Amino acid sequence: MFTIKPVLSSLMRSRTGPLLLLLQIVLSVAIVANAGFIIQERLALMQRSSGIAEQSVLSFSLYNFGEKVNLPQQLKRDLEILRNIPGIKAATSTNMLPLSGSGWSDRFIDGPDPETAKSTPGFAWYLGGEQMVDTLGVNVIEGRNFRADELNHSITDSGMKALMSAPLAKEVFGEESAVGQIMYQGSDNQIEIIGVVEVLQGAWVDSDQFDYSVIQNIELNENRSNQFMVRADRRDVPALEETIKQALRAENPDRVIRNFNTLRELKDMSYAFHAVMAGMLSIMIILLLVITSLGLSGMVMFNIQRRTKQIGTRRALGARKRDIVGMFLVENWLICFSGGLLGGLLAMELGSQLMTLFSLPMMGWQWPAMTVAGLLVITTVAVLLPARKAALISPAIATRTV
Amino acid sequence: MLSMKKINKVFKTDLVETHALRDFDLQVEEGEFVAVTGPSGSGKTTFLNIAGLLEGFTQGEYTLDGVNVSRLNDNQAARIRNEKIGFIFQGFNLIPDLNLAENVEVPLRYRGFNSAERKRRVEQALEQVGLGARMKHLPSQLSGGQQQRVAIARALAGEPRFLLADEPTGNLDSLMARQVMELLEEINRNGTTIIMVTHDPELARRAQRNIQIVDGQVCDFTLYQGGDEPQAARA
Amino acid sequence: MLTHYMDLGWRSIRKTPVLSALMVMAISIGIGITLISLNVFQLMSHNPAGERSSVLHMTQLWSQGPDSWEEYSANLTYQDTMNLRQSDIPVRSVASFRSGGAIHAEGSDAEPEMRSIRVTDSEFFAMFSVPFLYGGSWDKSVDMEAAHVVVINEDLNRTFLGGGNNVGKIIYLDVTPYQIVGIIDHWMPRPKYYDVTNGSMNFAESIYVPFSLTPHEEFPVWGNTSGWQFEPLITYNDRLLSEKTWIQFWAELPDEDAQMQFSQWLTSYVEQQQALGRFTDNTRTSWMRLLDVAEYLTDSEVVPEDNRIMIGLSALFLAVCLVNILGLLLTKFLKRAPEVGVRRAIGASRRQIFLQHMVEVSLIGLLGGVIGLVWAWFGLTTLADHLGMEEALGRLDPSMWIMTPSIALGAAMLAGMYPAWVICRTQPSVYLKSQ
Repeated sequence: MFTIKPVLSSLMRSRTGPLLLLLQIVLSVAIVANAGFIIQERLALMQRSSGIAEQSVLSFSLYNFGEKVNLPQQLKRDLEILRNIPGIKAATSTNMLPLSGSGWSDRFIDGPDPETAKSTPGFAWYLGGEQMVDTLGVNVIEGRNFRADELNHSITDSGMKALMSAPLAKEVFGEESAVGQIMYQGSDNQIEIIGVVEVLQGAWVDSDQFDYSVIQNIELNENRSNQFMVRADRRDVPALEETIKQALRAENPDRVIRNFNTLRELKDMSYAFHAVMAGMLSIMIILLLVITSLGLSGMVMFNIQRRTKQIGTRRALGARKRDIVGMFLVENWLICFSGGLLGGLLAMELGSQLMTLFSLPMMGWQWPAMTVAGLLVITTVAVLLPARKAALISPAIATRTV
Repeated sequence: MLSMKKINKVFKTDLVETHALRDFDLQVEEGEFVAVTGPSGSGKTTFLNIAGLLEGFTQGEYTLDGVNVSRLNDNQAARIRNEKIGFIFQGFNLIPDLNLAENVEVPLRYRGFNSAERKRRVEQALEQVGLGARMKHLPSQLSGGQQQRVAIARALAGEPRFLLADEPTGNLDSLMARQVMELLEEINRNGTTIIMVTHDPELARRAQRNIQIVDGQVCDFTLYQGGDEPQAARA
Repeated sequence: MLTHYMDLGWRSIRKTPVLSALMVMAISIGIGITLISLNVFQLMSHNPAGERSSVLHMTQLWSQGPDSWEEYSANLTYQDTMNLRQSDIPVRSVASFRSGGAIHAEGSDAEPEMRSIRVTDSEFFAMFSVPFLYGGSWDKSVDMEAAHVVVINEDLNRTFLGGGNNVGKIIYLDVTPYQIVGIIDHWMPRPKYYDVTNGSMNFAESIYVPFSLTPHEEFPVWGNTSGWQFEPLITYNDRLLSEKTWIQFWAELPDEDAQMQFSQWLTSYVEQQQALGRFTDNTRTSWMRLLDVAEYLTDSEVVPEDNRIMIGLSALFLAVCLVNILGLLLTKFLKRAPEVGVRRAIGASRRQIFLQHMVEVSLIGLLGGVIGLVWAWFGLTTLADHLGMEEALGRLDPSMWIMTPSIALGAAMLAGMYPAWVICRTQPSVYLKSQ
């Protein structure tokens, strides 16, 4: 029905317009493919499971500035108070907050001699009480959690027990079970792995070792400054800030209690840059498509005006309206395909440049392909409107001397 | 005033070579009113374009007002068009967005006159064609004859050495055509050389001198004097 | 003639409002996006040290053992810091680290607040050009003989002491009284170039206390503490004696001679320490380096990669907008070919036609620039809102006032060049015959 050859030859003759369209499509494909890929990558990052009941965990920090305060006693009291507040299901002190962008990281070694032992990858090192597992809502899939009577209060104590996140356990022990393994810190400190939790992310969302975590049975109680996490029903969380402040101030007024955040809020802050990046790129893609399709419509309209007589003659010679519309569509598709091909190549090249420059993973060919497909649809719509207008040109035009 | 010697103009495409003008000779004296006629495709338009320095030519020599203008660059040609030649077109070719005064002003701006000088000349030129009261009107608000008079005013404002008119009455009805023609004759009486291309023999007869172009050559040379019958002569 | 061209351009823009709006929109969006990226980049890549950038040098030592870190730590150990501070080398230098504590004042209604504190030496204020409102730094002797003196900022002065010259008064850090010796004016270098550990857009501290108090007051460390071997820090003294790094050390080295001398001194210091069994990584030939402010900021990667990607993509985006406008301009100008034919016939030179159209294009560009600036402002405000960085991000960098018109004009002219060239080459004769 549509004959490509005459369209092609007319394209070859009026070079500038089609060339501009081609250029525009090449650039658009390069941008949209790469931006789409980056967006998808960022969204995937944000959708990883943290293993935590993020919205049900409220965190805050507490600083004792009172002069004569018995810190270990105070911590014990504070935890008791927290655990007795109605609505709080579990509470723990912690050395770091998941997903917060700041925290402790460490490594274990697999033998007592630091010279010969092999080191594990770095992991987020959570130190807290026996309720940490329940507070976070992480899932112990193997072994067990530690008990209250197993708690240590200093990192040099003996009887260290730890839970590992499953990805870390797999990385360190392979198919072997992690439970029962002994790890070391320095030559003296032995740590027994007593359990594996399914998923627990660390503090740094951009870390390669984000899924590697360890929870150890240490409730640090010699610091003026402490962080806490409490678990409650999601609905009860908003009211808790005031309740907690009042309860803890009633016990001892000489402290600053602040930084109340749910872990979801911390997560959102940590991912804010990624979210903004994804948002900006999405807006960019939308605007780009709008501009491209508007520009395309404008050019086609101009083409039609310029070729009014030609179209009239074609009509006089028996072309049906759909033949005229078809002519413009074929023209558009030709440009779109060739532009898409070139643009796809440029996009892949750009992608590989980005990869080497910015440690981005390599973009698959699907991205440019999808972009070309999308552009095809959009440009078809953009061409269809002016093309239908062109089809209305009266054959009588041909007989007038214009 | 205007002298063309052995002018040749050849259009070449891959397949054919067309001689639009072939050994074209023409002399026009100062103050003459020359009508150029000829069948369509004879080379009238090409002659006009070359005479108006709108196009170059392949061979020959063209002298205008004592200056050899055979090989001018684009800038020099534009300059001479601006200063020495006034154009009047069949389609008037006024700029639709500009009002009458602004239209007449266009060539004066390119000539670099200051605003006082421009104003003086615009008023004078429009006065001369009888449209002094309508300076702020847009071309679309005027009749065809009035538009053509504005175009004439525009051509006159620069005080050119000669006017080139291309079917100046082609788009006008007979009454308006007569008015325009009378205006041109008056301008000619004031000393401006006029070359007019037309296919209307009636109109051509009113010029002092008639030239016919056939197949790119000056073929017929007729001098009208008083009521005498035309005499054929070889140029 | 220029004003005439502007008049003509403006008329032409108004005559085709839809097409003009389309072009202005396209260019404004392109410019808006480019401006946002550039503005963020400008902010992140700013070097607040100015001409002192090449004078101030951060001292870094390779104190780690073999097979540990692969890079220099930005910070020093306490022992190296103390050795440098106590040396007799005649170089102005300061040690500092970020800490924090509860602040309150006697007789103030304000509740105690947690504030970040910079623990540092007396020369800090002079070296980093910190402006004083009242008083000044503590005496240099305090750097050796610890005393409970403090410099606070105006904000804190207002909150806890009601503002005014409060030099000599007391504020409490936790429960310890400190005497105020100086009050500094608002000072917020972005990026926080003297210590980007807690993020380059972190706020400058509001309280400054002598570094010499560190062993007595056991200030908590709010920055990074990094260790390359297992060293449990049970007591504060463990920290002071450890190989952990947590202190920034800046030296003022005004010329190459000074840098050379300081380097030599550091080299011999390292040799002396090696004799004592430290600096054990023998795979190296040098154990020290000096970074000036610009180098330090680059080394700390204060400009995020995302920002560079955005700049690249927005440049491409602008290119698409330009190609788009180029097409539309060509369309518009060619439609006007008959008029240009007339102008050419009555004596306009190519140059005059070209100029006329470039002026029109520039007008479109400038309009686009103005609207682009509005987009950029809007975008940045939204962005700052999302990132919780209102103060830092939510404003246009002053350089944008030069940047915007240059980009707008440059972009428009780039896009307009070809259409204007095509139209100025119009053959007048072609358009004169027909209507």
